[in-house]
Amino acid sequence: MSLDILNVTKIFGPARGGILSRDEGFRALDDVNLHVPKGSSFGLVGESGSGKTTLTRCILRLENLTRGRVLYEGTDIHGLTPRDLRRLRARLQIVFQDPYASLNPRMTIHDIVAEPLLIHRDLFRLSARQRSERVLELLEQVGLRSEHLFRYPHEFSGGQRQRIGIARALASRPDFLILDEPTSALDVSVQADVLNLLHRLQQELGLTYFFISHDLGVIRYICDEVAVIYRGKLVEQGPVAEIFDRPRSDYTRMLLAAMPDPDPDKSPFRQSPTV
Amino acid sequence: MSLLEITNLNLAMRSYEGETQILHGIDLKIERGEIWGMVGETGSGKSLTGLSISRLIPAATGRYLAGSIRFEGTDVLNATEREMRKLRGRKIGMIFQDPTTNLNPAFRIGTQLVDVALHAAEHDPSVLGLSGNASRRERRRAARRVAIEMLGKVGISDPIERIDAYPHQFSGGMRQRMLIAMAMIGKPDLLIADEPTTALDVSVQAQILKLIHQLVLERDIGVLMITHNLGVVAQLCSHVAVMYRGRILETGPVRTVLKQPSHAYTRALLAAIPTVHTKRGELRGIGDIMAEAG
Repeated sequence: MSLDILNVTKIFGPARGGILSRDEGFRALDDVNLHVPKGSSFGLVGESGSGKTTLTRCILRLENLTRGRVLYEGTDIHGLTPRDLRRLRARLQIVFQDPYASLNPRMTIHDIVAEPLLIHRDLFRLSARQRSERVLELLEQVGLRSEHLFRYPHEFSGGQRQRIGIARALASRPDFLILDEPTSALDVSVQADVLNLLHRLQQELGLTYFFISHDLGVIRYICDEVAVIYRGKLVEQGPVAEIFDRPRSDYTRMLLAAMPDPDPDKSPFRQSPTV
Repeated sequence: MSLLEITNLNLAMRSYEGETQILHGIDLKIERGEIWGMVGETGSGKSLTGLSISRLIPAATGRYLAGSIRFEGTDVLNATEREMRKLRGRKIGMIFQDPTTNLNPAFRIGTQLVDVALHAAEHDPSVLGLSGNASRRERRRAARRVAIEMLGKVGISDPIERIDAYPHQFSGGMRQRMLIAMAMIGKPDLLIADEPTTALDVSVQAQILKLIHQLVLERDIGVLMITHNLGVVAQLCSHVAVMYRGRILETGPVRTVLKQPSHAYTRALLAAIPTVHTKRGELRGIGDIMAEAG
């Protein structure tokens, strides 16, 4: 279940111009190479506009590549037939950043979590009753209860909604989960609970995580390996402890220095520690 | 006399389900030169406290059960609307979280800054550096000069050219700086910043914090920084107030509160932040800790 990203380049545009048009388009990803080992947590760090989200869209084949290959267990995702692609997507799921925007407000929690089972019904072949049983099992797995089944998203807090998003992602029994800033919209206290839930689920289900975040503290906590992306290029990658303790690139050093430390004595603004 | 003094503030808000008390006996005193951090989770009442200071809680739904807010001696809760307008955007500067919704996309940056400068000058002509009887045209020209100067001050390069840009041509960080420029034009004595860096990248956040710190040094203003990021508080603030469910649990100098927190909730908040030494699976949510504390 390893994922390999080989020489991936994605150029948006160029806008169609005349024969002399100089517009070369926007290079969102530039020769990106990554190896995500099976069962690991791989972190991707970068600021807004660095290409994090474009890379996830390329992995899921929501975007076509300009160049390069994305291999999942050796199979090129971008070479699959539509039928095979759909089968693969059951095993490759995503949890989105904004728990307020990614759940349909007109659907009950039951229907939201059951939807992947309907989409992939040729894989699971569940009756309506079996589907409901599976939905309940999933909700319990993420710490929600049966009384929540027929409520609507607006009745839940941010942390609970993100749990629903996780339950939906797990419905089709994936082995690879893309987590696109899953806790950045949450309070630190709720973030701690969601991170612990993700850690527990990984141990129970043997999942591989591709974890996107701009919060280096979260990455350090949850990931084994990390890659730093800047303007579509990978700046560096390696084991988390190594990158954090001995960053080789100036950009990573800058990112680490800019991260506000909760220790008041490490403030750059406070020369004398007595204030 | 303190710059700002909030005493026993109790606020109730009405909704379809009836009236609920939101703030329970808030006490807070801010002096010039102090940067106060107000931390707490979503729904703890941080923002409503901030809005109360400039009396921006809608009168139709909000009701103050008790308490007072004094800003440089003015009784904010009982002042007339006319008096409040002299304070808002003038003596009390405000910066909100989302720069995209707080700028008008249809007007140029310059137009929006000039408006603020002209409005502030109605109450205090010295904002433009002009005497009271300057002509309309002189005032406009001076306001534009002030706007350019402020843009430069908040670190936007080529302010003379950028002033005619529209908000969408600015990046998120530049828009947030523009909001700071807007808040600073009236030369406020108190700056209320409600999550000013939450939507920004860490590198841009670091620049904004530096900017606020410089403003405090230069002008000796007081700042109330509302945030849920304890890292930001630890770096920038001199004092901190911890809020939980409409109450202030703990206040004090930032080092005391963050290094020797006296309240279990503050300890829980600190424990919820993953640090270098936190082992995977050992992070603790607030629920666990508060349950143990009873």
